[in-house]
Amino acid sequence: MRSAVKKGKSNWLLLLPMYIFTILFVALPILYMFLLSFLSRAEVWGVDFTFTLENYKRILEPLYLGTFAESLKLAFLSTGLIVLIGYPYGYFMAKMNAVWKKRMMLLIMIPFLTSALIRLYGWIIVFRSNGVLDKILMGLHITDKPLKLLYSYPAVVVGMVYSLLPFMILAVYSSAEKLDFSLVEASRDLGASSLKAFWTISLPLTLPGLLSGIVLTFIPSMGLFFIADILGGNKIVLVGSVIHEQLTKGRNQPFAAALSAVLMILTSLMIRLYKKLTGSAELEGLM
Amino acid sequence: MKKWITLLLCAGLTVFSLAGCGKAEEGKSASGLSGELNLYTWDGMFPQEILRGFEEETGVRINFSHFDYDEDMLAKLEETQGGDYDLVIADDYIIEVVIQEGLAQKLDTARLENYGNLNPVFMSQFYDPQNEYTVPYGAGIPLIMYDPALTDVEIKGYGDLWNPALSDNVAITANYRVINGITLKALGKSMNTEDLATIQKAGDKLLELAPNIRVINDSNTQDYLISGEVAAAFLYSSQVSAALTARDDLELVYPEEGLGFGIMAGFIPSKAPNADAAYAFIDYINRPENAAACFEYIGYYCTNKAAEEHISEEMQQMIVLPETVTEGEIVQNISQEAEDLHAEIWNTFKTACD
Repeated sequence: MRSAVKKGKSNWLLLLPMYIFTILFVALPILYMFLLSFLSRAEVWGVDFTFTLENYKRILEPLYLGTFAESLKLAFLSTGLIVLIGYPYGYFMAKMNAVWKKRMMLLIMIPFLTSALIRLYGWIIVFRSNGVLDKILMGLHITDKPLKLLYSYPAVVVGMVYSLLPFMILAVYSSAEKLDFSLVEASRDLGASSLKAFWTISLPLTLPGLLSGIVLTFIPSMGLFFIADILGGNKIVLVGSVIHEQLTKGRNQPFAAALSAVLMILTSLMIRLYKKLTGSAELEGLM
Repeated sequence: MKKWITLLLCAGLTVFSLAGCGKAEEGKSASGLSGELNLYTWDGMFPQEILRGFEEETGVRINFSHFDYDEDMLAKLEETQGGDYDLVIADDYIIEVVIQEGLAQKLDTARLENYGNLNPVFMSQFYDPQNEYTVPYGAGIPLIMYDPALTDVEIKGYGDLWNPALSDNVAITANYRVINGITLKALGKSMNTEDLATIQKAGDKLLELAPNIRVINDSNTQDYLISGEVAAAFLYSSQVSAALTARDDLELVYPEEGLGFGIMAGFIPSKAPNADAAYAFIDYINRPENAAACFEYIGYYCTNKAAEEHISEEMQQMIVLPETVTEGEIVQNISQEAEDLHAEIWNTFKTACD
């Protein structure tokens, strides 16, 4: 997939649709957003065309800095858990035989056929009072009354991990599949313990997959506010929810634009960091 | 060369996309005699039989276009400068802006035979104090409901939601002007105060509500009550109707501190291509039987006094305003500083709920 389009000599006419698409749907909206973030809100309605830095100053208030911190915290926590679950999953999947690889892959892909929202509603059925989990726990006499599992922080983390896990698994898998296991065997022959073999051979060679998995899960988890809304009962305030609210009920487009701009800069810093660490511009696994 | 082309493209596309904005896709009735009514409101605001009945009776074809948000409607009207649509039904606060911008035309109420049927409680409001431009069509009144089986607290007003016995047991809607508004009301203040100190005081009071909040959601808030996830909820009219339909053992409370109204109203845009049809339609939907059918269908409070007796027994409790209610306050557009403070209070509150 990677070298399907060679850079440089190709006929620009063939690239024209891509240019049009990029300009129309990527460059212009971003430009518009950045411009908007320096304007001020009109008294009753819309936007005033006067330059201001007020929107960015407002982000520095503890309240809004707090929402950035909250978003980062949730993103780090979810990404950490995803690494713990996803890395071994992808790694061992790559070691399976061809038939099982296919089956495992299918199991990961099937949930993607339904909408993310519907899958999240599935978790509501599990977590709600007198829901599936409550019934099981009470049936086993572990608890005696319904727990309040839904609309809590753990419920949100579960939703995040569940939604983003496949990205990590696929990234690690594609890296681990390229790993030559005879190298591991050679190190074992030469007397390395299995842990040492993993630490010195397997891990470094699958690191690009792991890192791109982290990027692919961390960045979306900064923005997936609807999971916090649905499973957290709107009680966890993430940057995404503030942007959404400022655009709709707050009717303050410039402030929403400024928040989006900062979020965008934060995430592009993450990608820069990834490039620095791996020396590669491409993400393993999905791109 | 490449840069050149990119630049040209950029310029070309900008012009092209701007030009595209100017054209409305719908409702291009060329003359006032085209016999089309261009109706613009939310989806599901009229039962099919009413729309069909009007078409059969008058021979006017209804061209229904709908919007999701009031803001979209305003943008569209600004674009067409009050043209293209004959009748628009939208929320109170946005109508204030529409009138201010001169996008609505004055009504000749003498042309409306059924004008006298309207309920004055829902008229002469801030957005149209003299009733010059609008005719109400449905009202929403967020109310408290609770499940007596799940709590011993007898809820009479907003203040009771603060009762510690309701810890982690209350669901509320997510509109911060409304939630901060009822907090102001619980303090005996106006929802629309622009006094920052008063708003801040309400903010402090709202923070004390945080331990009781189980969930904040604007859509399907009634579900938490129906499924027993919470003991009490503060929810919108249509949700109250839905909850009562599902479980009639729930208690409905008209808070003693006073009510918040949200009124939907119809107006004719300033350059409506076929205002005559709009007058005919407004008159048609305000015949008592027709109005009853409409309000039973949309599940909002009936704004037509004469229609009330035509509303079925089981819907009476949900959509007919009790006699005791004579007024309600509406959330209005307020100063930017006050609006921003409300937003800040809300986010602080939400963070505290977690």
